Formats: sequence, C-alpha cells, structure tokens
Amino acid sequence: MKRFLASRSASGVGVVAMGVLAPAGAVAIALALGSRNLAAATSLCLLAVVVAAAVGGRGSGVLAAFLSFLGLNYFFTEPHHTLSVRNAGDVVALIAFLLSALVVGALVSAVRAERARAERRATEAQLLNRTTERFISREPLALVLEGLAEALVTLFGLARCEFVTAHGVGTAIDALRDEPPGPAVTFPLETRSGSFGTLTVERAADRGPLSPSELALVRAVASQTALAIERAALDDQVRMARLEAESSELRAAILASVTHDLRTPLASIKASASGLLAEGAHYTEDEVRDVLRTVIEDADHLNLVLANLLDLARTRAGELIPSTQPILIEEVIGAVLQRMARRLDRVSIRTTIRPDLPAAEADPVQIGQVLANILENAARFSPDGSTIEISAARWRSSVQVRVTDQGPGIPTEDRERVFEEFYRRDAGGARGGTGLGLAISRAIVHAHGGTISVGSAPTGGAALTFQLPIAERGSTAVAPARSSEAAT
Amino acid sequence: MTDVLVVDDEPQIRRALRRALEAQDYEVIVAENGEEGLARAAAGEPDLVVLDLGLPDLDGTEVIRRLRSWTDVPVIVLSVRDGRSDKIDALDAGADDYVTKPFDVEELLARMRAALRRRAEERPPEPKLRFGELEVDLARRRVLQGEHPVHLTPNEYGLLEAMVTNPGKLLTHAWLLRKVWGRGYGTESHYLHVYVRQLRQKLGDDAAMPRYIVTEPGVGYRWGPDPDREPGQPSSSMSGSSDSHGVR
Repeated sequence: MKRFLASRSASGVGVVAMGVLAPAGAVAIALALGSRNLAAATSLCLLAVVVAAAVGGRGSGVLAAFLSFLGLNYFFTEPHHTLSVRNAGDVVALIAFLLSALVVGALVSAVRAERARAERRATEAQLLNRTTERFISREPLALVLEGLAEALVTLFGLARCEFVTAHGVGTAIDALRDEPPGPAVTFPLETRSGSFGTLTVERAADRGPLSPSELALVRAVASQTALAIERAALDDQVRMARLEAESSELRAAILASVTHDLRTPLASIKASASGLLAEGAHYTEDEVRDVLRTVIEDADHLNLVLANLLDLARTRAGELIPSTQPILIEEVIGAVLQRMARRLDRVSIRTTIRPDLPAAEADPVQIGQVLANILENAARFSPDGSTIEISAARWRSSVQVRVTDQGPGIPTEDRERVFEEFYRRDAGGARGGTGLGLAISRAIVHAHGGTISVGSAPTGGAALTFQLPIAERGSTAVAPARSSEAAT
Repeated sequence: MTDVLVVDDEPQIRRALRRALEAQDYEVIVAENGEEGLARAAAGEPDLVVLDLGLPDLDGTEVIRRLRSWTDVPVIVLSVRDGRSDKIDALDAGADDYVTKPFDVEELLARMRAALRRRAEERPPEPKLRFGELEVDLARRRVLQGEHPVHLTPNEYGLLEAMVTNPGKLLTHAWLLRKVWGRGYGTESHYLHVYVRQLRQKLGDDAAMPRYIVTEPGVGYRWGPDPDREPGQPSSSMSGSSDSHGVR
C-alpha cells in the first residue's frame, strides 16, 4: 500500500467496511428474494466483490471474495447453514467463484490504482507547472516560495516545509496540525553555477517517511526553484545594466543638447561683439544696431534655454509643482508677447480671445514659460512676414489656447516625438531649437491636469493646442459693489 | 543731476549699470552689500535706488524695509529671482518696481523715469490726467475717451484711479484690492479679474496687446503710459500717491 498517497487510499476501517458490507448486502438481497438458487446468489456476490474492489481497493476486494465464498457456502449450498458441501458440483462452483472473484477483484482494484496514479501524476505535473508559472510571473521571490511551500504541505501532508535562500529570503510553512514532526529531509537548491539555499520538508510522524517517488518530486521542485532563483538574479543584473545604459544615454543626450543650446547663442554673441571690435571693420550705424539686436536676441534665447533646463531639473526631482490661482489667459499672453517682442518682430501676431473666456486655474509663471516655448518654436519655423495666430476659447470644461504658424508644419509621424526630451526637428536651416521646450511644456501642462497636442493649421503650418482647467472660483464671481457714488 | 544708488554684489552688473546710467546723465553711486547700501543711502540721499535682492549680508527685502523706516526714496528691485512670491514680498516691503535679470537697460530706464516722475510731480489735488485721447478727471470722477464719456461703475473707477495716479508703478493684487474694496480684502484676486476685464473693455484696451493696463502675471498690474505733461501746471503733493504696498 506504500505506493498510494495516504490521502488517496481508503483507511483501514474503510477497507474492512467495504469488504464486509458489500458481500453481506449481496447475500441479504439473495436471501430476501427467497431464492436458494446458487447461480443467482453467485452473480450477486461477484457484483459485490467488484463494488468492494472498486471503492475500497484490493484489500476490500479480497476480503469481499472470501466472505462471499463463505456466505455462499453457508446459505446456498446443501446442507444449508453449514460450511460443509454435499454436492461435488457445488464444490466446483464455489472454488470457481472464489478464483474468479479474486481475479476480477484484482483487475478492478488495479484499474482503480492506475487511475489514482494518473491523478497523482496530474497533480504533480500541475505542481511543477504552477511552480514554473509563478517563477515566470515575476512575483516577489518570497511570495512565490510561500505559495510553493503551502502547495507542498498540502500535497504531501507535511508537518513543515521551509525554504532558505542564500541571499536571506526565506519562508517556512507549518501545517495546522498538532502532530509531532517526523525526520526532516533537506534538499540543496543547486544549479550548475552554484548553490542558492535549501529546501527542508518534514512529514508528520504518523504519516511515515516520504516515498522515493515523493522524494523525487520534492527534489524536482527544489531544482526548479534553484533555476528560477538563478534566473531572477540574472534578470536583475540585466535590468540594472540596461538602466545604467539608458541613463548614461540620457546623460549624453542632455549634455549634447545643453552644449548645443548654450553654445550656439554664445557663439553668435561672441561673433557679433568681436566683429564690431575687429580691426578695419566698417559698419554703418544701422548695421551696428542690427548686430547688437542679434546679441540681445541671443541673450534672450539663452535665458529661455536656462529656464527650461531649470524646469527639467525640477521635473526630474519631482518638484515641478504648479502653484495655481485663477488667471486670465489673455493677461499671460500679453505679458509673454511683451517679453518676446524683439524675438517676434519678424512676424506679425494676431490674437483672438473670446470676451467671455473664463479664468483658468494655473500657475501664471509656468504657463508663461509654456507660451514662450510654443511661440519660440513657432517663430523659429515662421517665414519672415508671416502671421502667428494665438487664440483662446472655452472648450468643454477647459480653457483652450491654440497657437498656429505659417511654417512648414509638422509631419503626422513626428507629432508625438516633438514632445520628447531633446528631440530636435530638422529645422532646414532655421535656427536650432532647444529640443527641450516642448517637452518641458508638456510636463508643465500635464502637471496642471491639462493636455497638449500638435496638429496642423488650415494654412498648413503647425498648430499647438493646450487646455487648462477652468478656475472654480473667479470665472463668474462678482465682487461686491463699492458703496461710494457712481462715477460717470 | 539725479543721483542713483546701485546696490549689487556683482562687479559686472555694477560696471554695466554705471556705464549705462552715466550715459543717460545720471550720477551713479555704488554699494556692494546691504549695509553699505543703507549707509550710502543715508549719507548721500539718492533720488532713486536700484537694489539687488541676493546680497551677501542682508536680504534685499530687509534693505527695503529698513530704507522705508525713514525714506520714501523710489526703490527698483533688480533680481535674478523671478518667483511670484519674491516679487510680491519685495513690493509689499515697499519696492516701487521689480525688474528681473537678465534685464533690458531700456526697460530699466523706463521704470526709473516713471518712478522719478511720480516723485517729482506728485499729483496736484484736482488735476485732469491725460493719456493720449484718454482723459481722467480725478476731481469730478469723470473719464473721457476723446469726446465720449466712459461710463464706469464705482469699482471700475476706483481701480482706474488707483492705477492712473501711480503710472508705471507695479501694483500688487493685494494692494489694489485693499485700495479699492477696503481693508477686509487682499486675497480675492478673482474680483480683480472681473473688474480689470470690464475696465479694459470700456477703455478699448486689449490684454494681449495692452495700451493701458499691463499685467505682471500672478503679481499685479501696472498703468502703462505716462500722463501727458501739461507745462505750466503747478505741482503740489498729494498724500497717498507715494503709498507703499500694503500693510507691513
């Protein structure tokens, strides 16, 4: 019986009960039918043996066969109610019955055992599968080991199951039974490349030691666990390496962008100033003014780049938190246009503001930076003398600002990329951009709970649109009237 | 000669300012830190102070407070700090204006001229102020746009009066609210939005390209144009026009 899993095999009491009850029932039915016909009783008893063997296993079958043999002998062979047999034919029948009952019982119980083994194999396969799945699922190792230990305890009727891993993750599951533990068996968690800890199982004392096949299964679980731990460690190393590569790539991009964005205007400033000083230089007064205007424009551009870099640092540090208040977007537009007047003097600006536009809930300084970046971008791609149009209107529950230019526009496939950090469109000879302005603008608008997107203007140029939430207070608030007389 | 005290710890800025201001015929006195600035202000009684906030010894806002304890000399802050609260703090401490570095000398000069003019021609008691075709009659509380009267509500007129009597000066939200609505107010900047917008509409002003009311977003408003000068008008002082910003 050792081969049977304890939980699957019927208990000793069950074996006896099935072996006794089945033939007793058969004999009782035969008697109740009032028949003394040995053939009918024999058939009923054979059926009883089959039932006993199918339900109770081989032991029940054998017991039922012998009891049936005795019952038939006692009740159905002449002389009745004795164990002696008068008739030679009956002797043959009884012996034939016993032999066939034993054979049938053995066959039936063999089928039953085979089914039990198949079920167990399925369970084992399931356990191994589940082990693999859980390891692949990237759950934390401790959690996976805990689940595994629980499964082992249930499956093998363990008193205790403990994983100890080399790097300190461990878990132990104790069965909720007050049974003294039997001897402990410890398996190393080993792969070819090294040892990763141990798995210890203790079967409850009264369940006996684990069978060789059970031990083999536990060993299989142990080696799978070891492989999984090893793979997880390797994955971690790969992930770390990749992260490091990515961040160094980003650092390189930042460095390249910063160098470019700061050096370009600096170079222009230096060239302009040294050009004015150069020996033998002849400039008309208008030319001098023109050169100096370029210097100022470059300085303004440097200032914008620096503000963006500062905001980038704040974003990275998670400190780009808008300090919002109700603002009138047309006022921010006005302030930015004034600040950028020089930068925008090559183009004409048209603004369209709906007079009933509600106030937006926003940080005026940050939204000013967003507008400055968008306008800087629009100006860079605008041909001389073209128009940049700024419009603001209510859209659903937001204030929407739209800036369109008459430049070449942005191809559909690049419309997401323009918001990526350090993405720089091929300006086609136009002055180099920050590569950062739109990324920062998006970060700011998102921090406000708004959205920003790029599309195309009816004129073919680029259209940048962003939305800000409407201020709860302020859009319709009416201040108390002053109590003095009305002015006329 | 107009004396200007420049308080800044950066030698390049002092040099650049000295050159630019002397080219405009200002007499320039310089100081490298707050204590020196206060001492020179006391000794030289300059007509205007250009003050950096990030000084090595005293914070610029503290310098403004100490100056304000004995003089109402115009103070223009010149700082790299561009946060709203920095501006509001300096203005509340008594600064007349705030210019952020990097700055345009032309802009600084314009602010200086406006501040000096406010000091020199303190408003006559019953003047009419003209800004191009806009005329504000302070005595009769009447506003004309060319030939046409502009009808304003009391709050709108109060706002207009507060601004036109301080041309070029950066007026914080809190100061305007207290000036127009009274002491109980100071944080309700959305009231201002409503009235400034109405005032702009009635004056035909455009917030995006302002002629009259210039916005310092999140901080306050400034009346853009200087009043047209009417030669021969006697200048006398009017209390309340050199007010500092708000309560300390």
